[in-house]
Amino acid sequence: MEIRTSVAAQQYAATRLATSPKAESGGTSGLTKLASDFAATLQAGETTAKAAMTGNADPHSLVMALAQTELAVETAVTVRDKVVEAYQEILRMPV
Amino acid sequence: MGNFLTTLAISASGMKAQAGRIRHLSENIANADTPGYHRKSTTFEADMLRGRETGMVRAGPVNLDQRTLTRIYEPGHPLADDSGHYDGSNVDLVVEIADAREAQRSYEANLKMFDQARQMSQSLLEILRR
Repeated sequence: MEIRTSVAAQQYAATRLATSPKAESGGTSGLTKLASDFAATLQAGETTAKAAMTGNADPHSLVMALAQTELAVETAVTVRDKVVEAYQEILRMPV
Repeated sequence: MGNFLTTLAISASGMKAQAGRIRHLSENIANADTPGYHRKSTTFEADMLRGRETGMVRAGPVNLDQRTLTRIYEPGHPLADDSGHYDGSNVDLVVEIADAREAQRSYEANLKMFDQARQMSQSLLEILRR
């Protein structure tokens, strides 16, 4: 079977459309939202801890805020580890 | 993770409400011998945010028990009337203890839910760590 150069080039041009990144993929905005949510949870934890130290917040709020912060930090750390692991896995791939 | 965070907040609100209840109960017990003291009871209401229920609970306004005060016979008391009686409090210690036990159980239940949500989230993250 003979494959002509022009056909191959045509097919290549057709697939390029599918593999090229879209201009408005939601990846960036989703990550930004996640990061800002994480920062907000951390901020709330710090504020409540400060308030509890000065006697303005009850221990329930403190425990709740710290548990939420712990959960958020653990989630972020676990996801980061997974992402870094995947990246290293790709780097190790023989090209 | 949003549901877990909300569960933590809701359980904390329940614990906070029960802590307020046990505070009023301790006030009742402390004032059991105060003349003219009306027993306080805590009300609970659903927490609202912009007209919608958040799922949390909060302690509502305090109710004063309007039952008749116990008449105590003590002629030497400065508050005693002509018959030698004065108005005591309407606190029933047995009721207060039962109420306190109920508050304790309720608090424990909320605490259990708090711990449960934390454990669930941690075991979920444990999958990713492997």
